[in-house]
Order: sequence, then structure tokens, then C-alpha cells
Amino acid sequence: MSITFQVGDVLPRLRHTVTALQLFRYSAVTWNPHRIHFDARYAREEGHPGLALHSHLRAALALRCVTEGLGPQWHVTKFDYRLRKPVYAPAELAYAARVTEADGDSMTLELIEEHPSGGVGFEGTVRVSKTGAVTTEGFPVSTAGATA
Amino acid sequence: MSFVPEPDTALAAYYAQTQPRVGAVLARRSLGTLDAVTIGRYAVTIGAADPIHYDPAAARSAGYADVVAPPNMLAAIVEWGIGTPEAQLQPDGTPHDGEMPLGDGDLRLRVMGAGEEMELVSPVIAGTELVLETTLEAVTPKQTRSGTCVFVTTSHTFMSAEGAVLNRNRRTVVLRNPVQES
Repeated sequence: MSITFQVGDVLPRLRHTVTALQLFRYSAVTWNPHRIHFDARYAREEGHPGLALHSHLRAALALRCVTEGLGPQWHVTKFDYRLRKPVYAPAELAYAARVTEADGDSMTLELIEEHPSGGVGFEGTVRVSKTGAVTTEGFPVSTAGATA
Repeated sequence: MSFVPEPDTALAAYYAQTQPRVGAVLARRSLGTLDAVTIGRYAVTIGAADPIHYDPAAARSAGYADVVAPPNMLAAIVEWGIGTPEAQLQPDGTPHDGEMPLGDGDLRLRVMGAGEEMELVSPVIAGTELVLETTLEAVTPKQTRSGTCVFVTTSHTFMSAEGAVLNRNRRTVVLRNPVQES
């Protein structure tokens, strides 16, 4: 099955509620001891209203919107993002991606993090390539048998 | 330089210490071998359900030699190996491990991520022996709506032990004075 995408196409939104439990596990798995992510009292001492989300967790959720929206036929080759504002747990977030450039084996998408208030917390750009478009030195040549 | 932090502040001390090091390679070190459990745990934590992250058979059928890390996993890990003993962590919990220069002494700067650029050159597979080189790219003071800040940009190149580049990323954090000084 091959799905083609065109400029202007929008991927399904990734909606996700980030909890303090997820922040704790993200700190643990990345061996990140920064207290603003798991120690609410300390976070308030620094002037935060609560536990701050890790920027890399927000980036990981944004990337999920792209990888899950496009499927295994595509892989991420470049990604950049800028954080517009901090986010605190619990947080109801939505990530949206829109195709801005499509040239056969590669595409560019714009990514944003949407907040319930209507604000945008995060803006990014992601470049993807068809998984079959590179050599065995890099990503797999064939996706035959790949599990979606 | 059009703007420098106010004298006698923690940011001024940090800037004086760190700006002269721009361009320096901060560290080049072996990170050890990336294991499948770390990859699987990272995937579970971010909610990534694709079995290529935790099922070797699914990864192989998708063309990978073993389970493959989600795209930003290497960039996200703060400490590799056993990490820093608690008594040596800074008051905010952050380590002095050479990846991000946080200044000498007890500056108590507040640190937050500001953004990142990454290039994913090759897939990151369980069993890969990793090497990381970190370079200090820029130390830039700015006056923002929330006060004086210093933006610090570092570049990180993750390689295999054979020297094949896996990821390149350029990360920017923003440092602010301690609460009582801002």
C-alpha cells in the first residue's frame, strides 16, 4: 500500500494528556535529575507554577504525530523546533502537522503544539524521506512485512 | 557585543567564564552500548506503540538489525552510564557532566530548553556502541520580556564506535539568574 501526500495535507492530530507520572518516568528513562520536572516544591521555588514538561518529551510527542500519521513508509531525517512557552503538568496537548513541501521521495511538514487556550507552545519543521529511498547503509531498503 | 548581563550577577559570572570557550570541544567520550531495554522503555514512556521499538522480530521484518530507537531518544538522554552521585549534583539537580556548561561554583542559574535542530543520519539500533562529541557553539546574552537571559548553544554528534554518524543535533538552552536576583 502506498499513500501519497500533497502540499496542504494535514495529518491526524495527536491528542495527549501529559501527567506528573509521565514526567517522572521520562526523567527516569532519560536519567534526567533536573528537579523542575519531578519536585513541585522546588519548581515553585524557581518561579514555575508546577512541574515543567521536558522539552524533549514535547518534541517526542510532536514526532509521534508525524511518524504515526505517515506510517512506516516514511522516516524522519531532519527536525527542528522552537519552544514558545513552558508547559506544566497536567497538560492537555494536541500536535498538528501539515505538509508544506512534497517532492517525490521527501516531504517537509510544519508542526505545532496546540494548547486548550488556543495558544501555540511549540513550532517545528520536520523533513521525512521514503524509507525505500535510501541504501542499506542507512534506513531499510524494503518495508516488506513491516508492521504498521 | 551590544548587550552583556548586569555586573555582579550570576549570569555575568557565567558569561565571563563561558563565552571565551565558544568553539571548544567540550567532550568526546564513549557512552557505552545502547541496550534494547532502554530503547523499549523510552518508547513506552512517550507512548510510541510501533513494535519496531521493542520487538526484535518486528524490527527485523521492517529491515532493521534489532529494535530501533525513537527519533529523538539519543538527544533526550541527560546522563549516560551510572550518572552523577547525588552529593555532586547542583541544587536544581542538574549534573556537571561536560555536556552543557553550567558555570563554575554555585551560580544557581535557572535552566530551560529553548529549541533544537537535529539531523537523523542513520537509524539507532540496540547493540550500537556509541561515541558522543560535544562542542560549545554560542553563548549569547539577551534582554527578554522575562528579564536578562543567556542563550547557550551546543552541538552534539552521536557516532558509532567505527565513526559512522548517527545523529547530529544542535541544542539551545536559556539560562536565567536565580529567583532572588532576577
